[in-house]
Amino acid sequence: MKRFDAIVIGGGHAGAEAARVLSRAGQSVAMVTMAADAIGRMSCNPAIGGLAKGHLVREIDALGGLMAEATDAAGIQFKVLNRSKGPAVQGPRAQCDRDLYATAVQKTLAAEPLLEVVEGIAAALLFDRKKVTGVRMADGTELSARVVIVTTGTFLRGLMHSGEQKSVGGRWGEASSESLSDSLRALGLRLGRLKTGTPPRVLKESADFSRMEPQPGDAVPRPFSILTDSITLPQLSCWVTYTSSEAHELIRKNLHRAPMYSGQIDSVGPRYCPSIEDKVVRFAEKERHLVFVEPEGIDHPWLYLNGISTSLPPDVQEGVVRSMPGLENAVIARWGYAVEYDFVNPEQLDATLKVRDVGGLYLAGQINGTSGYEEAAGQGLIAGINALEFLRGGDPLILGRDEAYLGVLIDDLVTLGTEEPYRMFTSRAEHRLLLGVDSVYERLSPRAASRGLLDDERRRRTESRVARTAAARAKLGGLEFLPDRETTSFFESELGLPLTAPTTLGKLLQRPGFEWDAFAAAARRAGVAPEALEATIALSEEELEGVLSGLRYAGYVEKQAREAEKLRADESLRIPVGFAFQRPGISRELVEKLEAVRPASLGQASRIRGMTPAGISILRMHLRRSQSGTIRASAPAAAPEILG
Amino acid sequence: MSGSGLDTIVAPATPLGRSALALVRIDGPRALEMIEQLAGTTLAERVASRVTLTDDDGPIDDAIAISYVAPRSFTGNDLVEVSLHGSPAIVQRLIASLLARGARSAEAGEFTERAVMNGKIDLAQAEAIGDLIASRTALQGKLALANLGGMLSREAEEIRSALLDLLMRLESALDFADEDITFISREDLVREIGRVSSRIESLESTFTRGRATAAGITLVILGRPNAGKSTLLNMLCGTERAIVTPIPGTTRDLLRETIEIGGLPVTLVDTAGLRETDDPVESIGVTRARDAAGKGELVLYLIDASAGATREDLEFLAAEPDAIEVYTKTDLREAPPGKFGMSAVRREGVNELLELLESRIIDAFAVPEGSAAVTNERQLSALRAAHLLLSSASEASSTGSTEEIVAADLRAAAEALKALTGDISRQDVLLAIFSKFCIGK
Repeated sequence: MKRFDAIVIGGGHAGAEAARVLSRAGQSVAMVTMAADAIGRMSCNPAIGGLAKGHLVREIDALGGLMAEATDAAGIQFKVLNRSKGPAVQGPRAQCDRDLYATAVQKTLAAEPLLEVVEGIAAALLFDRKKVTGVRMADGTELSARVVIVTTGTFLRGLMHSGEQKSVGGRWGEASSESLSDSLRALGLRLGRLKTGTPPRVLKESADFSRMEPQPGDAVPRPFSILTDSITLPQLSCWVTYTSSEAHELIRKNLHRAPMYSGQIDSVGPRYCPSIEDKVVRFAEKERHLVFVEPEGIDHPWLYLNGISTSLPPDVQEGVVRSMPGLENAVIARWGYAVEYDFVNPEQLDATLKVRDVGGLYLAGQINGTSGYEEAAGQGLIAGINALEFLRGGDPLILGRDEAYLGVLIDDLVTLGTEEPYRMFTSRAEHRLLLGVDSVYERLSPRAASRGLLDDERRRRTESRVARTAAARAKLGGLEFLPDRETTSFFESELGLPLTAPTTLGKLLQRPGFEWDAFAAAARRAGVAPEALEATIALSEEELEGVLSGLRYAGYVEKQAREAEKLRADESLRIPVGFAFQRPGISRELVEKLEAVRPASLGQASRIRGMTPAGISILRMHLRRSQSGTIRASAPAAAPEILG
Repeated sequence: MSGSGLDTIVAPATPLGRSALALVRIDGPRALEMIEQLAGTTLAERVASRVTLTDDDGPIDDAIAISYVAPRSFTGNDLVEVSLHGSPAIVQRLIASLLARGARSAEAGEFTERAVMNGKIDLAQAEAIGDLIASRTALQGKLALANLGGMLSREAEEIRSALLDLLMRLESALDFADEDITFISREDLVREIGRVSSRIESLESTFTRGRATAAGITLVILGRPNAGKSTLLNMLCGTERAIVTPIPGTTRDLLRETIEIGGLPVTLVDTAGLRETDDPVESIGVTRARDAAGKGELVLYLIDASAGATREDLEFLAAEPDAIEVYTKTDLREAPPGKFGMSAVRREGVNELLELLESRIIDAFAVPEGSAAVTNERQLSALRAAHLLLSSASEASSTGSTEEIVAADLRAAAEALKALTGDISRQDVLLAIFSKFCIGK
C-alpha cells in the first residue's frame, strides 16, 4: 500500500488547487485522475472569470492559488465586464486557449516534487471508524493518507444525454466513477442529482466571420495574477451571431426529443445558464437569442457557441446551428450534450469544507452542488488549505462573508445547501462594497502569508501593491481645496468648475462631470497638489481606479463596514461541536434545521432558512452561559467553590 | 431564567381587584404540566375544562382551564388560561403555587414578546395590541384592530416588496451585464425610486392622524378674562368642572377634562384669561395659558361679544390663523356678521360648536375607518430612515453614481423598512417596546 499525507481525487480546477497548495507546503500528495493529460481541462466554455467569478479568481490569486496565473498564460482575449462601474462589481474575464490552459495547470503541478499523479479510477474511500484512511482504486490497489479531498466534478455516476442517446461518462469520451458515491452514501451522506450542459462546437474553417459582428477584447489586456506583468499571447476577437424564429420553431417541434422535456432527465439544471431549448420555452416571446462565437484557442480548429448549450438530438442541433448568420455551412465538430451527476448536499459539510463528523474527508467543487470553474477552484484551494492545517495542527481558514466572495460562497453552501447548481453573483454578498476586485491583496494576502502559503515573489508583490495603493490613498484622501482666489481660478479656467466652499478630492469625484484625468493633467500643468500626483505615478491604471473609487464612495464603504462589524458579534459566538440543539422553547422543526446544518456560530445559525428570533435568542442565552462556564472551568483549581 | 432554556412564566391577565372572574395565563414548556398537577387531571387541547385546583395547602379554586399546545397558541408556546373567581386572594394563591413549582412572574409585555419572537405576530401588530388595550373610543379600537389585523404591516410589506423588485432589476443589471437585456434604464430607475419614496411619504403622513387618533388631541380654550372660557368647558363636558364667577381672572391654573369628539379623546384645557396683570399668581397662569396654546392641536379663541374684539384679540388671531374664533354672550350682543356666536345663558350654539369641532377633527386628525396608520415614533422613524436612504439613492442615481452604489442605498432602505414590522437583529428595540406593555397581555 502506498502512503501519502493527502489524496486528491480529481484533477480539475478544484483538485489542481487543492493538490498544489498541499504539496507546496511540504505534504506528499497523490492526485488520482482517470487521465493525466486531462488535468486542468476546461470541460465547457473556454473562458475564465466574468461577473463575480472574476472576483473569485483574484481572491484565489491573493491566497496563492494557481488559476489566475494559468489564465494569464492561456488568455487570448481579456475584457473587464462592468468596466464603467466600481471595483465591487467589475468582472474581469478572459477567453483562453483551452490547450494552453491545461498545459499551464499541468506544468504548475509538475513543478511540485511532492505531488504524484496516479492514473486510474477511485472506486471506494477507506475508513477506520469515522476517520478516512485512504482510497481503493478500481484495480484493487490501495493508497493511504490521513486526508482525502474529493473533487470529482461531473464524474460521480456521470450520465451524458444527446437526444435519445445516453452514455455513461462525466465528459465526452471519458469514463465515470460508478462506485465512489456508495462510499459517501455509506457515511450517511445525502446525495442528489444535478444536470449541466454544453453547446456544440463547430469547425472554425467552416464559419463565415464576415456575417458576424466582431467582439474584440480590451485594448490593453489586464492580467489576473499579481505575478503577471503583461500578457504576451496574441489577442483574438470573438464574434456575435443570433438564433432566429425558424430555429426556435424547429426546437419547439422537437421538444419531445429533448431529454429535459421528454422526462429522460429530471435533475435540476442551472437557471442562469439555460439550454437553448429552455430559453425558447421560457422566453417564447423573444424572437432571437444572442450567441457568442468564441475561439477555443490560437490554433485550435474549433469554435465554441456560447449561448446554445443543448441536449437536443444531433439533427436538430445541426438545424439550429446552420440557421445562424455566418454558420450556414458550419460543420459540427462535436455535438452538445447534457450531463447528470451525483452531488452531495453541502449542508453536510462544515465551513472548512470537511464532511462533518468524518475525520480528514473534504469535498470541493461541483460535487458540492456548484457550477463554474472559478467556484470549483476557490473551494479546492480552501479545502486544500484546511486539509493542510488539519495535517499540521494549525487553525482552519474560514473567511467571513464581509471578507471575501469565497467566504460568501462557502457560507451559503454549508448554511443554505443548494438545490440547483450554485453560481456566484455579486448580489449574494450583503456587504459587496467591501469586496472590491482591487482589494483582494489587502483583504486576503496577509492571511495566506501568515500561514506561509505565499512564495517570496508573490509576497513581495502583494505587499508592495498594498503599500503603494495605501500611500496614494492617504495622499489623495488628504487633498483639500480652499476657495481662495488662486484655487478658484484654477478650477474655473482649467476645468470649468465653480468652487465656492472648501472641498476634498472625494467630494469633487462625486460631482457629475469631474474627470480625474482632466484634473490630473491640469494640476500637473499648474503645479497643483504635486505630492498627491507623484503618489499616483507608481500605480497601475487598475490600482488608480480602485483608489479613486474608494475615495468617491468612502461614505458608503464605511457604512457597510460598520454594518458588518455589528454582525460580527454573532459570528464570534461559537457553537461548540456536539452542542445539543434540543432545548425547551426551540421547536422540533427548528431543531431539525439546526441539526441538518449544525452551524458553527450564532451568526451562521441566524442565516438558516426559517430560523425565528425566538430560536436565536434562546440559542444565544445558552451559548453565553456555556461560554462563561468554560471560563469558570479553566479557573485555578485553588478556588473550587466557584466551580459549577 | 431557569437552566432549561425557555422558562415558564405566569401573570394575571385581568386587573387585581374584586370581580366576577379573573384570568391567569401560564406560558412555557411546563405550563400544561403545572396546571394538570394542580387539577389532578389532563386537559384536552382548546377545550374549556372545569377543574378543581388543589395544592398541598388545600383547594385553590373551582376554575375553568383552557390549554393551547405549541405552536397553536397566541405566544407560539404551550399556554394555559385559567378563569378563577375574581378574588385577589385566589389569584395570588394560584400564582404563588405556580411560582413554588418553578414558574416565574412574567415581565411587562412578555407574552406579546414571546408571540413576536416566535413569529406569530410582527412588531407593528404587537404595538397594535398595546394600542387596542389602551383604546378609549370606538374609533381608536378600530384603528388598533386594523393594525393588529396587519393593515400597517401589509402596507409596509408592499412598499418593501416594491423596493425589492426595483433592487432585483438593478442587481440583474449588475450581475447579468453580459446579457442582451436592458433590465432598467436610468430614467426608469429614478422614477421608480420616486414612486416608492412617495408611498413611504404618504405612510409617514398618516402619523399625524395615527398619533392623534391613538393618543388623542388637546383643545386649548383661550381668550381675555371673563370671555366665558370656564363656562364653555363646563358646558362641553356637561359638569361643573370649573369654578365660574363674574370676577375676571377667576381661573388661574390650567384645568383639563377629556371628552370624545369625532371618535377621538379630546382633552379640553381651560386657561387663565390673557391680560397684563400685577398679580404674580395670575401672571404665571397667563404664561401657562400661552404655553398651552402652543402645545394644543386645536385652539378655541373666545371673545366677549358684548365687549367686542380688542386690539389684543385681533393681534392674537392674526398670529394664530388656525385658531377657531368664537363670540360668546350673544344674548347681550350679536356676533359680528360671518362670525361664530354662542350664548351660555340661552344655551345656544353649543351643539353647533361641537359639530364644527367634530368636522375639524375628522378632517384633520382622525384616521378614516378601515385605514392603516402609523401610530408611534418608532414606526415613524423606520419610515423616515427608509425615506432618507431613498433620497440618497435618488441623488446618487441622478448624479451619475454607478448602480452598485444606488443598490447599497436601496438595500439599506429595505432593511430600514423591515424595522417597522420587526427585525431579528434589533433586540434593543424589542426590549424597549415590550417594556411599555403591562403584565399579562
